[in-house]
Amino acid sequence: MADSDNDSGGAHNGGKGSEMSPREQDRFLPIANVSRIMKKALPANAKISKDAKETVQECVSEFISFITGEASDKCQREKRKTINGDDLLWAMTTLGFEDYVEPLKGYLQRFREMEGEKTVAARDKDAPPLTNATNSAYESANYAAAAAVPGGIMMHQGHVYGSAGFHQVAGGAIKGGPAYPGPGSNAGRPR
Amino acid sequence: MDQNQHDRLAQEAQYQSNPMMAPTILPTQTYGHSLSSSYPRLHPYDPQAMYQLRQEPLQQQLTNFWAKKRQEIEETTSFKTHSLPLARIKKIMKGEEGVRMVSAEASVVFAKACEMFMMELTIRASGSAEENQRKIIKKCDVASAISRTDVFDFLVDIVSGHNKIMEQQGFVGIPRIGTALTPTENVPYYQMPPHQSLVPGPPYGSSGMVVGMPVHYQNHPGLQTPTMGPTPNPQNSSRDSDS
Repeated sequence: MADSDNDSGGAHNGGKGSEMSPREQDRFLPIANVSRIMKKALPANAKISKDAKETVQECVSEFISFITGEASDKCQREKRKTINGDDLLWAMTTLGFEDYVEPLKGYLQRFREMEGEKTVAARDKDAPPLTNATNSAYESANYAAAAAVPGGIMMHQGHVYGSAGFHQVAGGAIKGGPAYPGPGSNAGRPR
Repeated sequence: MDQNQHDRLAQEAQYQSNPMMAPTILPTQTYGHSLSSSYPRLHPYDPQAMYQLRQEPLQQQLTNFWAKKRQEIEETTSFKTHSLPLARIKKIMKGEEGVRMVSAEASVVFAKACEMFMMELTIRASGSAEENQRKIIKKCDVASAISRTDVFDFLVDIVSGHNKIMEQQGFVGIPRIGTALTPTENVPYYQMPPHQSLVPGPPYGSSGMVVGMPVHYQNHPGLQTPTMGPTPNPQNSSRDSDS
């Protein structure tokens, strides 16, 4: 499987690091990444004070927790254990971040397409026929299109990405059909 | 003269990390409201007018931002490199109560969403800095952007939790309200005598330090005491270095 090369980055200054516990450090994204992204939003001559960077650093962690909490509640209502991309898009719509959802839908769709190729190529046991891969990609596109509709959209397939913490193994391809509110047969299926 | 003053203030802000040195008295003079602090947002009406004037370029800036973001996503060819570490995102997600498993795609979606979020927040904060004729974006600009944007309501606790922010803005409690310019909230402030009691006892017991630090750039002498917060902030020093 492809290994993730995005482990926690942003090594911090040793001196200042001693004042921040390891656990607290993990609560924030690295300030170097935050700073770089903020600068991308501004003209070249603009400057950002350190306390503004730190404030945005805290705000983005709060943003992650805020969206995750809403998505997690939805998963629990539907008795699912894993938060997937569609759950996050639904949560963002619910919480007022509609502007983000359209670009992210395309992003998620492309990610799934690429992951689909990798998953098929990397799978050892019960190699699926090519038609399944094609259908899977097609269904993925359909589900992505339906992501804007609130309702129980099941996770399509597990993506083996090598992230730290746990590894998900892909199940069979999801059955076809639009995922509108009330897919009872899908909602009860645990992973 | 104005330019020199602006440069000096900007430089002082950069080196001393003391936000209160940065605001100029120009907005106050322009409005001719002696009671107003250096932040035009305090006035019930002028900030709205000013914001309306600024709103058009800001909206255009945001529109360009979203168009650029769509184009950037369409051009994405690799998901191996991200602007944010996925493992850290997943760790933050799992810190939320009730979260059990997080798919890889969720971390990837968040990496892009957080980038959008930070850029939108930064663009709005830069609008606030422009209103105060500054080129350096400060914490109070981020706080101002948050208080003006409805979807950012969930962040008011983060910015209002810092005493420096409250002291910088010269008032108490208003940042917690989504619409900070409600008249009922502003009137008590204007009627109160401007003295140290405006600032609640900071957790770090810095009230006593404020008295002896004169601020030469404040138009209203009474605002000197509550707005001059302590420069050192233990919480700030615990952050990662961005050098």
